Amino acid sequence: MSRSGISRTVIAIYLLTVAGTAIWLSAIFLAPVLAGRGSAGAARLIYAAFSPICHQVPGRCFTFHGHPLAVCGRCLGIYTGFAAGLVLYPFVRGFSKLELPSARVFLLLTLPMAVDGAAGLLGIWPSPILVRFVTGAVWGTVLPFFFLTGLADLFLARRRKVARTLENIRTNNVE
Amino acid sequence: MDKQKPEYLRPALIAGAIAGLLSGLPIISAGNCVCCLWIVGGAAMATKLLAKNTSGILTSGDGAIVGALTGIVGAVVQMLIAIPLRPSNIELGRRMLDWLSSLGLDMPSNMDGLLDGGPGILSPGWFLLSLFLSAAVFAVVGVLGGIIGVSLFAKKKPQASPPAATPPLPGPGDAP
Repeated sequence: MSRSGISRTVIAIYLLTVAGTAIWLSAIFLAPVLAGRGSAGAARLIYAAFSPICHQVPGRCFTFHGHPLAVCGRCLGIYTGFAAGLVLYPFVRGFSKLELPSARVFLLLTLPMAVDGAAGLLGIWPSPILVRFVTGAVWGTVLPFFFLTGLADLFLARRRKVARTLENIRTNNVE
Repeated sequence: MDKQKPEYLRPALIAGAIAGLLSGLPIISAGNCVCCLWIVGGAAMATKLLAKNTSGILTSGDGAIVGALTGIVGAVVQMLIAIPLRPSNIELGRRMLDWLSSLGLDMPSNMDGLLDGGPGILSPGWFLLSLFLSAAVFAVVGVLGGIIGVSLFAKKKPQASPPAATPPLPGPGDAP
């Protein structure tokens, strides 16, 4: 596939991911706003949507409009880091190259969160919410580099397959 | 040349069942609160299984597919396990809130209501909605885990080796 074909696909996936991330982050802030305005049903739906992936313990969540956000400080950090990674992506990787970050980089950026989390679990260190947020954000920054590369690779492979099938049909028809 | 098509379903079912089980059990499910540990880990494990059973080199797209499937299987298993365990989970949540209150942390006034969930929470409609939301979220997280798994576990493409050096032809001076 040509370089411009790759770029177009990566840009389309990039824009969709940016939109999805914006919706995701907005929903996190929308839950306490709705709870504050008395729309308990809608707020409950958003809190429930995030409950499988976050403990939502109020003491570990930032508050907004007097109510906890839909996710804890660390999760908010991860999603904010993801958004920051999306901003960095075009400058670091560009749209014409598909390459996963090395496992070493991934493990290195996971380390602060893992150490902080483990120390908190073992009772060595009562991790403040801001530290949770920052270590989460550091980890989250690398994630778009995996996510975009994987999805772009998947869609490009599908497109190549469809193109091959069409080419085979065309060849058979000519014969 | 086409590479051998990887068999996604088997690793996704195995890893998804384990991830769903861990995500559904009380206390252990808290692992998902650490950046979706069970789902990301399950998807990475599925990629490892896939890499083991595939002779070719896995692409990040393969990781995305097997990760998404693992997330969906995990969501279904988690929901099925959560149904019988729901009363004990609510009790556990209530104890946790009591414990946090005893530490002097402010609880929002609607927290009890959110925990109880109201009468509609056990209805089939709510169950299907929860299943759909969990499957969607776990699939996205699983995609991420699967791609990370490719980076960690998949066989790497061999580096292009430099052209083999050809031995120099014997010149006139090399003759014995």
